[in-house]
Amino acid sequence: MRAQEKTGGLTLKKIGRFCGEYSFVLVFILIFLIYVFVSNGLTLAGVMNIFRHSTAVGIIALGMGLVCLTGEIDLSVGSMLALDAGFSVVVFNMTDSIALTLLFALGFGAVCGFINGILVGYIQMPAFIVTLATMLIYRSFAQYFCQRIDRELLGGGSSVYRMSMESSSYQPMYEFGNGRIATMPIVGMILILLTVLFVYITTSTKYGKKIYAVGSNAKGAQMTGINVSAIKVSVFTLAGVLVGVSSFLWIAMNASADPATTGNSYEMYAIAAVVLGGISMSGGKGKCIGILFGAMSYDCIDKIIVALKMDSLINDAIKGIILILVIMIQIVGPRIKARFAGRKK
Amino acid sequence: MSLLKMEGIVKAFNGVPVLKGVRLNVEKGEVHALLGENGAGKSTLMNVLTGVHARDAGTIEFDGKEYDSISIKQSEQMGIAFVHQELNLFNDLKVYENIFLGKEYKNRFGKLNKKKMISEAGRLFEELGVDIDPTELAANLKTSQKQLLEISKALFFNAKLLILDEPTTSLNTEEVKHLFGIVNDSKKKGTSFIFISHKMPEIFELADRYTVFRNGEYIGEGRINETNPEAVTKMMVGESYSSKDVYTKRDTGDVVLELDHFSGPGFEDVSLKVKKGQIIGLTGLQGAGSSELMQCMFGCTHPTGGTMKVEGNTLKRHRIHDVMRSKMAMLPSNRKENSVIQDMDLLENMYLAEHTLSSVKMHINKKKEEEKFNKYKELLNIKCQNSHNPILSLSGGNQQKVFIARWLNTEADILLFDNPTQGIDVGAKAEIYKLILELAEAGKTILINTLEIPEIQKVADYCAVFYNGSIIKVLEHDEIDETTVMLYSTNAVNTEEVIQ
Repeated sequence: MRAQEKTGGLTLKKIGRFCGEYSFVLVFILIFLIYVFVSNGLTLAGVMNIFRHSTAVGIIALGMGLVCLTGEIDLSVGSMLALDAGFSVVVFNMTDSIALTLLFALGFGAVCGFINGILVGYIQMPAFIVTLATMLIYRSFAQYFCQRIDRELLGGGSSVYRMSMESSSYQPMYEFGNGRIATMPIVGMILILLTVLFVYITTSTKYGKKIYAVGSNAKGAQMTGINVSAIKVSVFTLAGVLVGVSSFLWIAMNASADPATTGNSYEMYAIAAVVLGGISMSGGKGKCIGILFGAMSYDCIDKIIVALKMDSLINDAIKGIILILVIMIQIVGPRIKARFAGRKK
Repeated sequence: MSLLKMEGIVKAFNGVPVLKGVRLNVEKGEVHALLGENGAGKSTLMNVLTGVHARDAGTIEFDGKEYDSISIKQSEQMGIAFVHQELNLFNDLKVYENIFLGKEYKNRFGKLNKKKMISEAGRLFEELGVDIDPTELAANLKTSQKQLLEISKALFFNAKLLILDEPTTSLNTEEVKHLFGIVNDSKKKGTSFIFISHKMPEIFELADRYTVFRNGEYIGEGRINETNPEAVTKMMVGESYSSKDVYTKRDTGDVVLELDHFSGPGFEDVSLKVKKGQIIGLTGLQGAGSSELMQCMFGCTHPTGGTMKVEGNTLKRHRIHDVMRSKMAMLPSNRKENSVIQDMDLLENMYLAEHTLSSVKMHINKKKEEEKFNKYKELLNIKCQNSHNPILSLSGGNQQKVFIARWLNTEADILLFDNPTQGIDVGAKAEIYKLILELAEAGKTILINTLEIPEIQKVADYCAVFYNGSIIKVLEHDEIDETTVMLYSTNAVNTEEVIQ
């Protein structure tokens, strides 16, 4: 009898630990169930739409996650998305080549991220200030050049970067962005593949462990021979590359990029997804897999609001409240636990 | 006439006694030197006196009045001022604001009377012969000026007793003279001083009487002009315990590490040759340069002159990673700050350093790493359940063993240990020193920097004693004992020559 109780206690403990470590899964399931409940008659395609709509933010959030793991922050990703997507449209219209557009999107993102990285990692300016500045700069460039570039290259649009429909690559590009394989959106698959890749990098490579070490104790990491500045530059650059991926998928999905609205507040959504995914903003703690769930949770909230036919302007308020609630539970939970443990004694 | 009388003071932290019934007697108008090694209990007693800690037992009489308990505020009102080693000034405030902080002159509506404060501060500095502008920002002052500002501040509010905790550490000879002049002047006016210092020449120049503590116990007191540095040093260190059983002489190989007029921040002109398999102890008082030397050798700071050769080669670039490539490793001091990666488990903490050397192979072979960990766990006798325990769940000694494993794992040949037994209990200390001897036996070359001379006595073939940034003396194994090392590290040897 007693042995049974013991094993029972152990499994309970295990479940408890799982809930603690993977709380982002629980949060997602809860929000998802609400979505299923409020949207009467949810189809499989509808579920799969969650992947499609969380792709852009999700991929950006992966990069943000790496940056946050080193204890830094990148506010420029939303503006970077607008600039990179806009310029990629121009490249597409110029070259009529999907491959070159992809290459440009990745490379340009890398350069934008590298600039942030050098300023933060080597010159050691505060990341908040640096990326706040580049956020303004990238957004401004996206809007400025949209007015100055030849109309032809903008696909005829005014104040919007539009992919030219006459291009022979337009159709395949658009199909790639909106196609599905067995109801699963292709872009959603890319999100999952990238998540798997970054989970691998952060859990099973030497580079990944160095990222955690830098965020956990930079001085200690330095003393083990880790080049802390180089690691920081690399994560900002990687974040830029991921914004590049996101830009490419964005134009494939939407065939255009609006410099004024594309990626607006995406840095905040990305940070929220990262935090909801259980990554500590002070660095060194958290799992990359959480980011996927964090991003999907936020997308579900969007969908719930649409399903309830609520004013979409209330959207951000609800997202904000959920973020506060989840983090509050994460912080207050252990304290309550500690108090109870103390009382038992 | 007696100003301060402390009798039978007892203080324990978490059950560990730090003061075991000590006494201290300070007369009016004298400079009283409070002497003892690191950890003898001097600072704790001063903290009891100034109200930072409450005493467990004992009586305190100040200026003819007995005090049951003292708060910080009360000690201030009594006229006791503590000039700390690390100065307590507000860098962002101006000089006069620092002086009058909390005691500002105000008019009826609460507006500050800056003019009066500035002029009074100016008059004070003039009186003391201190060259400080009252409106200067404290951050812009030199360290010596800050020191003088703290003292002037105390004198301004008519402190009866000033505690000077190693006030000369960052001053040059000229500034020390100036400081001593001020102390001597105010002494004549009846102010008393408690002077804590490790520098024998200064103690014998400035102090009138002395009290010696050792391991939280009162050893003795007397008049400075009736004793000599050697006798005082002996009182401080006591009977040194013997170094028997552990140490054995080993065969050593060729010179593998050579420092030639090596200079850097905090030390200068250090020349040293170390042979393969040797254990060299470095010691000296805090800030004497031995720890700074080690940090610079490992690439934490940039050398400013001279050369360091490892196996006959000078390093092209002097950065941590390059130094590691030349098969050197360092166990830094301040374990918590410099070694512990708190969010990682034991295994991850162990393999980090080696991974920076083998970063080309990206993938971590978890099974192989686990095997390596188990090897070191056995070799170093690391007490833990498994490799996934958080690093902070281990005791200090076991943590330190994990970090030794971290560096052995890099297959370094030259190991630098900076204060390796800091915050470790006695049993683990002995284990670590036994381990150091075994490593040397196996052909590793080891440098240890520590302030604990008995530890050096147990393992070192040679001991380099630092004073003021340079090696003042190299002692052979048989010459190493606490008294001798203390004599050199306080530069008492030279004082004696001057006196005789």
